[in-house]
Order: sequence, then C-alpha cells, then structure tokens
Amino acid sequence: MNVTTLLAIAVITVGSRVAALALLPPPKGAAAGLVRRLPAPLFAALAALSMTSSDGGVADPAMLAAVCCALLATRWSSLLITLGAGLAGFLVASLIW
Amino acid sequence: MISSLIVFSGAAQFTMVALLAAGAAPAGVLAGVATLALRHLPLGAVLQPKLTVDRRRRALVSWFLLDETTGLALTRDEPVERTLATSGGLAYLAWVLGTIGGVAGGSLASVEPLADALFPVLFIGLAALTATRRSDSGRAVLAGGACLALLLVWPGAGALGAIAVAIGVAAVVPAP
Repeated sequence: MNVTTLLAIAVITVGSRVAALALLPPPKGAAAGLVRRLPAPLFAALAALSMTSSDGGVADPAMLAAVCCALLATRWSSLLITLGAGLAGFLVASLIW
Repeated sequence: MISSLIVFSGAAQFTMVALLAAGAAPAGVLAGVATLALRHLPLGAVLQPKLTVDRRRRALVSWFLLDETTGLALTRDEPVERTLATSGGLAYLAWVLGTIGGVAGGSLASVEPLADALFPVLFIGLAALTATRRSDSGRAVLAGGACLALLLVWPGAGALGAIAVAIGVAAVVPAP
C-alpha cells in the first residue's frame, strides 16, 4: 500500500469524525426525536455485531455464557457489574468446555 | 504502525488489511473505509446535543469518537467532551502500544477469546445504561435480535448493517 492511499484513509476517517461532531448541524425536529431514541438500540446492535464478528462467533459456548450472564446482570444498571458478570460467565464456561 | 498513529480505527484498519490481502485496488479499499466511516454520523448526532464546547474544541475531541467512547460519554455524569478525551486518550495509548508490541513480535493470542467476549458484554452494559425507559429496553431487545438475525443470514452487512438496523428500530418504534 502506498503512502497516498494511507493518507486518504486517514483523511476519510478523521474527516468523518470532525464532520459528525463539529461540522454538521445538531439534529432538529423529527431527527432529534430519532436521535434521542437511538442510543439503546445502537449499542444493542453493536453487541450483536461484535458477537458475530468474533473468531468463535455466536456458537462459542464461552461467548454465549458471557453474553447471557451480562444480560442477566443488566437489571442492576451498572456497567461494572455487567462486565464482571460477563467475565465470570466466560471464565466458568471456559473451565467447563 | 503509521496507520495506528494517524487513523486510530480498528474497524477501518482491519478492513484495510483484509481488502489489501484479498488483492483489492486502492479505490476499493477507500470505498470500504468510507462506508465504515459513515458510522460516525449517528454517533456524532447522538453526542452533539450534549456537547458544551465550541466548534474548534469539538473538532479536536472528535479524534476520540469511537463506538466505545460514545457509549461511555452518554452514560457518565460528567461533560461529554471530558469523557471522550479521557477514555479516548487511554484507548489511543493502548492502541498504539499494542501495535508496537505486535510489530515487535509480541502475541497475546491466549487472551484473544476473552477480548472477543468482552466487546459484546461492554455493549450490552452500555445498551442497558442508556435504556432509561421501558420503551428503550424494548427497542434495544428488538434491535439486538434483528441485527443478530441479519448478520447470521448476511455476514457482509457488517457495521453499516448493524447501524441501519438500530436507526430503523429507533425510527419505527416511537416513544409511548
């Protein structure tokens, strides 16, 4: 890969970040309502994406155990507890399988 | 190494490497990276109403606009720009140091499965924290399930497909 391509990739990536935060106007009207409703489904979708893009995929028992334990722990509304539960689920499943 | 310093995007860099390894032309690589970069628009739109600094500082802090830092910024009780800078700065440092370690021949293959599992767990935690109402939880479950189904049927949909599903659910399922 040449330097020009690498620089173009950097410009695209950094430019899209600057546009998103500093150049584009804040959402208004119906778009503002949509944006207010977006965070929870967005992170849920990213969770699904990171599950399917991992090496083991959704069929990995340790991954499934981590996800199930994390889902159960969401009732406490604590990121630390959710992470701890996911980690515990992963470790226990790894020991068993 | 240079790409980690000046791009700082796992999604863009892994896509770039995969496309180059597959023999793609530079234009194809740029198209793939540009498609992925579109994900920054909804992330920025979610954060914009909560930012308290001027445009110049927004441009500076935008370097740290990632999926993970956006989630943390939305769920912390401190100014969004501060969380972006702090968590993003730490992520950048880890990213560059990790790349240096990899270039030097280091390998953490034994902890790779754990790292793989922690990303969905982190996003589940962020989804739960941002779901402040029952309707938010419903949308999160719907988006997660629909996205999982989409990616199992069509893995190529990738990040853009996931974000499209989330936007679709947020648009179609209104607040009560």
